[in-house]
This record gives sequence, C-alpha cells and structure tokens, in this order.
Amino acid sequence: MSATNSILEVRNVSKTFDRVVKALDNVSVEIRRNEIISVVGENGAGKSTLMKILVGIYQPDSGEMYYLGRRIPFPKSPLDALRKGISIVYQERGVIPHLKVYQFLFLGLEEKFTKLGRLQLGKIIGLTQSIFEELGIKCDLASSMYELPPSIQKMVEIARAILSVKLMVEGDGESEVTPIIILDEPTAPLSTEERDALFNYLLNLKKSNSFIFVSHIIPEVMKFSDRIYVLRDGKVVAHHDLSSEKVTEDQLFREIVGRESYYDLWARYVYGVGKAEERRVVLSVRNLTKKGYFENISFDLHEGECIGFFGPAGCGKSEIAKALYGEIFADHGEIIMDGKHVKLKSEPYARIKIGIGYFSGETGKELFLFWPIRKNLSLVNFEKVCRKPLKIISVISFNAERSLAEKIMKKLRIRAPSTETECYSLSGGNKQKVSVGKWLEKSPRVLILEDPTIGIDVGAREEIYEVLLEMKRNGIAMILASDDPKEYAILCDKIISLKNGVVQAIYTNEEFRRLMEL
Amino acid sequence: MKSGLKELRVGAVVITSAWKLIKMNPAIWAIIALVMIFSAIVPEKFLSPSNFVAILKNFAVTSMLAVGPTFVILLGSIDVSYMGIWMFGGALVWLLYPYLGLASIAIYPIFGLLVGLFNGVVHVKAKIPSFILTLAMTALLAFLTTYVRNISGVLTLTVPAYNFLRESPIPYLPSPFLLALPVIVVALFLMFFTKLGTYFCAIGSNEEGAKLAGINVEKYKILAFTLSGLLTGLGSIAIFVHLGCQTRVDFDPSELVRGLAAIVLGGTPLAGGMGGPHRTLLGALVYVLIFNGLFLLPGVDPNHLKLYVGTLLLGAVIAASRALKGALIA
Repeated sequence: MSATNSILEVRNVSKTFDRVVKALDNVSVEIRRNEIISVVGENGAGKSTLMKILVGIYQPDSGEMYYLGRRIPFPKSPLDALRKGISIVYQERGVIPHLKVYQFLFLGLEEKFTKLGRLQLGKIIGLTQSIFEELGIKCDLASSMYELPPSIQKMVEIARAILSVKLMVEGDGESEVTPIIILDEPTAPLSTEERDALFNYLLNLKKSNSFIFVSHIIPEVMKFSDRIYVLRDGKVVAHHDLSSEKVTEDQLFREIVGRESYYDLWARYVYGVGKAEERRVVLSVRNLTKKGYFENISFDLHEGECIGFFGPAGCGKSEIAKALYGEIFADHGEIIMDGKHVKLKSEPYARIKIGIGYFSGETGKELFLFWPIRKNLSLVNFEKVCRKPLKIISVISFNAERSLAEKIMKKLRIRAPSTETECYSLSGGNKQKVSVGKWLEKSPRVLILEDPTIGIDVGAREEIYEVLLEMKRNGIAMILASDDPKEYAILCDKIISLKNGVVQAIYTNEEFRRLMEL
Repeated sequence: MKSGLKELRVGAVVITSAWKLIKMNPAIWAIIALVMIFSAIVPEKFLSPSNFVAILKNFAVTSMLAVGPTFVILLGSIDVSYMGIWMFGGALVWLLYPYLGLASIAIYPIFGLLVGLFNGVVHVKAKIPSFILTLAMTALLAFLTTYVRNISGVLTLTVPAYNFLRESPIPYLPSPFLLALPVIVVALFLMFFTKLGTYFCAIGSNEEGAKLAGINVEKYKILAFTLSGLLTGLGSIAIFVHLGCQTRVDFDPSELVRGLAAIVLGGTPLAGGMGGPHRTLLGALVYVLIFNGLFLLPGVDPNHLKLYVGTLLLGAVIAASRALKGALIA
C-alpha cells in the first residue's frame, strides 16, 4: 500500500487507568482512504479506550498521531476531533427520539444555518433531502426519529456524523477531506436483514468516507472489513489485510480470546464424571402448570446435571425458570426438593433457603451497579461474613467481606482495580462474572440460569461457561433457559424442547448437537 | 524500618479515608462553610459556649426527628409519622403517668414501635402509598393530642416529675443531646454493622434485584417502618425533655419539614437506595447551623426567621440534590 493513501495513523499509543490497569499498550493503527477497518476484541480488550482517544474523550499517556503524514496533537475534545475529521456513532443512546429527522440531522449545526437569529428551516429541509438522496436513505423527513426502524435510525446517525465532519473540519480548502467515522457496535440493536441493509449502505458510503468498525461479531467483521486489527489485553495481537490474505473465523476467534475454542469445553468437563442419571435426584417437578405459559412440565434433576428448556421465544422456557425460582408462581403441580414439597407460592428468599439459586445475564436486574463489588458479592452470603457476638445480633465483618470478594475475584478472574470498584464501571463480561460469582460461595443445590451470557462477547462467555461447568462438576444441578443453541450444547446433559408451553421432545446432549449440527 | 513503613501506610489510609468521607458526604462542605461564615460575621455570639449548647440541643431535636425515617427513605418509601409519634406519644406518657409513675416514659418507644409496625404492615400488605398513609397517621395522632389536651382542660401536657432528666451530668453537653446519643449509636450500628443497612439500600436501589438475591422484601420493608417508629419513639424522649418534659400540642408543618429537610440536606435522596443515618446526622447539623446562625445575625428579624430559613432550605435542598448527582456520576 502506498503511504499517500493513509489518512490517519496513531503510533505506540499507551493508556493506563488508576496506575494499575493497562488499557492500551503500544497500540498502532492506521486508517486509509475509503476503507472499512475493524477493531475486534473481547470486552475490556481496549477497543473503546482506543476509540475514546481518537475522539478526544481520553488523552493517551504516550503515543503519536499523524494526519496525512503530518504529526498532529491528539484531539482534546470530541469537537476538536470533529475539526480533525473524526466522528463517532455510539452503540446506543445516540438518537433523540422526539426530534424530526431533519432536526436531528442538523442538531448542533444550526448556527451555520441561522440568518438574523432565525433558523432557515427551508434550507435545512432541502439539504436533508439532497443528502438523503445522495446517500440512498429512504424515509419521511417529517417523521420523528423514534418512528423510524432501527436500521434507518442508524443510517441517519451515520449521515449526521459525516455531515458534522464536513461542516466542522478545518480544511485547507485544497485537498478534499475524507471523514473518518467510528461505528461502535452499530449492529447491536438490529435484526439480520437490517444488518445487511446497513452494510450495503456502508459499502456505498465507503466511496467518500473511511470507517472504523468496532465489533465482536466475527462473521460481520469478516464480511465487510478491508483490514482487521485484533486487540487483546490492550495490545494489537494480529493485523489482517483481507485483500491479500485469507483468515478463517476460527483463527480470528482464537486470536481474540487467546485460548482454545469453547466447543471443546463440554468434552473436557464431562470427561470422567460419569452419567448424571445415576446420581441422586435433587429436584423433582411433576405436572407443573401455569395457564397460558406452560403445561404439565415434569422432570427429575440429578446432582450435577443440567437440563435445558429449549424453544422459540414465548415457548414458556423462561417462565418455567422463573416459576422454579419463585419470581412468578405456577398455578398447580408439584415441586419437590430433596423429597420435600416446595410451596408453589413461595418467594425467592424461601427458595434460596432450601438451596435454589438464580442467575440471569441481565446484569441490570441482578447487580447493584453503584455498589462496590464487595457488597454485591456478600449480599447473598451474609452468613459467611457475619460474626455473632449475641444470638440475635449478627455483625458484618468488613475484613471477611473483603477476603470473600478477593477470593471470588481471583477465582473468576474478575478484572478490576480492587474489591471497592463500583460495578457500573466494569465491562459487561466482568459484571456478569460478579453476578454469577455471588453463587460460587453460596453453592446452592440447584442453580437456575436464564440467558446467562446475554450481551457479552465470546471470551467472557467462555469464562462464564467454565465457571458454570466447574460448579456443575462439583455437584450443583442446573436448569437452563436461553436463546443460544450453542449454550445448550456446552452446558446441558438433557434438553427438553418446548412449543407453546408443551413438551415436544427430550434430547441428550449428543442428539441435540447432531440435530443442531453443532 | 518496617514499623516506619507501617506507620506511613496507616497515615496514608487515614488521609485517603478522610478525603473519601468528605467526598462521599457533600454536607461536610456545607458544615465547614457555615461554621466559617458565621464565626467570621458574629464570632462572639456564634463561638460562645452557650451557643454551642444551643446548637447541640437543636441538633438533638432535629436528628431525632430524622434518623428513624431515614431507614424508610432508604427503601424509596417515606415515613412522616414521626410528628404523630412525638406528639401523641407524649400525650400517652402524660395520661399514663398517674398509673405507671416514672416507667411511663417507656410508652414512647413502645408506641413508636406499634405505629411503625402498623404503618409497615398496611403499606406493604394493602399497598397503600407510604406518604399518604403516614401523613394521615400524623394528622390523626396530632388531632388526638390536641383532643386530649382539650378534654383534660389543661394548657400543656407537662410531666414535671421528669425534670431531673433535664440536668446534664456533663458540662456543655445538654441532656437532650446525651439522650439522643444512644439512638444515634444504635442507628449507625444497624446501618453499618448489620445486614439491615445493606438490605435497605438494596431494596431502595433495585427492588427486583433484591428480591432475586433472596431478600424477603416485604419483611424488610415492614422492619424498616417498625425501626423508624421505634427510633423516633426513643428519640422523642430527648425532644420531650428538651421542651421541658412536655409534648407539643399543636401541629406545626415547619416541624414536619425539619425532619425531611435534614434527611435531604444530608444527602439521602427521597428516591432511596443510597445514603443513611450518618448523612442525616450531617444534614441535621447543616439545618441547625443555618437556623442558629441566621438567628444570631444582626438585623435579622426573628419573626421573619422562618421565611428566611424556608427560602434558604429550598435553595439548599436543590443544591444538595445536584451535588449528589455529581457524586453519582463522578
């Protein structure tokens, strides 16, 4: 590649947080004219830190930035970055729902279209029309943003990013500026068809712009990038030019996580444990029914066994999970734990007492985000961290709390500066680990999992699976309700398929894999 | 060498935790500022021993109204029944004194506990919004107090036999303050050294999550109301003594605001989930300092004092909630 093609380059960028966490370590990335580069990596690999440095939210500790071969200082603010031709479209919360399309497109740029204090609406609408025609966005200009489908919303956001660069950039008037648009996980809220539409749109825009695509969805990255940078633990561990070399998904996956593929996990953990059916029954469910959700569900759950309820959304799997934990109540049927009947209308606290735990991947529901990790972990483990000077008074011991948290953090490899770090500042995968970590010391007899890895990347997923499989090997029985067939293949001994709340078939792990071609 | 290092480390820990304490409790800034301002303008009056005693007395009263309800506010509910417990509890002491003698003061905590328990059970089981429920409770109890006074044909409900409580054994520490101290200690202990504090915060910040973590939400809600009533009942003894061993017989909304103002000024948002009695104590101190300082300022008409304080409070409450937002984001 000729050097003249390069627009922006950063060299040897390093950034450390709290003097401990090395977020970026000597990272060099180059963006050329009219290309889409991808930056991939796990949560916490440093992707977003790098992007925040590019748009001036963070300042790096060291490193250099070059624009068209000239050395320039790093941008000091997002506005400064705009003037340098760099703009970002965030993953979420970028859209202001009640603004009209043209209002949103020109938001923050109004002063360029104001004459004697009056906004030149006609001019703005006209410009919007011509921009949309040029970019091939089809929508009603007078509709509000929230009325548009998510993919069009994203397209308008991208159009807005390009427009702001064009209006704000400090050009020398001679060379034409190529805007660099950073897309932070743009496809997260989109369905498959919408994703394709968005990508066609990007390929079209590529003629006059460059894109930095931040993602962890491997097939997408492979399909649309010209070049791929793989970040791991703050370092660029691989760089692929797809025009000149061939990369397989599996290879990319291994580079991202730096470990073996998780398809092998099941085999590794199940080896030498023996058949689950021969062990003791922990939980028996007979004819459990909740009108309109599920009917006549019966099964026996053995020690160390995992049963998955599988089916399309609305088949009743998550309701079964919730009914077992007492978040919702079944109408009739029996739940028998260790030979004792469980009241169908007992709340979660009563179920925890007899050894049923619950873990959902929705961290917003499970975690107390503004609490330190320590408190989130001790919440269900109070009997472990309390001393009892008198029979009725139990006094919390901070040291016990802290050492409990340290123990769990070490075991789960939770990456955080200390036990006092507040959970909102953790990456998605680490949040999930804190969420599951509280059960590690509690060791319930039965753990109910609902979408345990929703919204986290492959590497963090694998770590969660390892934790769960380890717990399973120690004899904790599990119930799984999820959307991802792979998850069942990795975790479950037995899979019960459901449709409209009725059991359709029961598969073993091997049968299920064959069926799903996993 | 080794011990020197250890001392250094201990010193660092002390400094950082002191800094954290100030950062976590914006009310400390307000206290420092108020003390500095008033000691600059009216040093003789403000820094006098008698004023110190006055501040402590008022602090005891304000904090005793606010500490109990703080636990309920942590949950995201609200409890304004403290006025009622304070007023009618006193009336009960007055009514029962002829029969029980000095032991009748014990009626205060018992009555507080019962009112709190009632509030909690009704709020949780019948799902009545806590504000209207406890406000109605206060209105009812205040009315009953006035009624007792009226049918008894007396001016005040005073029990002079408790006058011995007004004498403080320690100079400069007034007896209402000494009576308030154990309540404060109990509240802080419950907040920081038992799971109650954690559970209340958990329910207030994420009720669903608290339920999923296996907290018996209904039980702890009732417990919070009960605790609020009990602590208010205990604290009312200090107020009772402060007022000259009598209780209030007419309802004054500014006294009702006093408790809530202390809570909000201290930095426990009414939405719940964070804060606690420690902040309420600081908030009570802020409230008392504002009141006390303004009273001492030359040219301030005592008759207008409530107007000034009200206005100032409005501003301070807005500022406090903004400062808190900053603390949350930072």
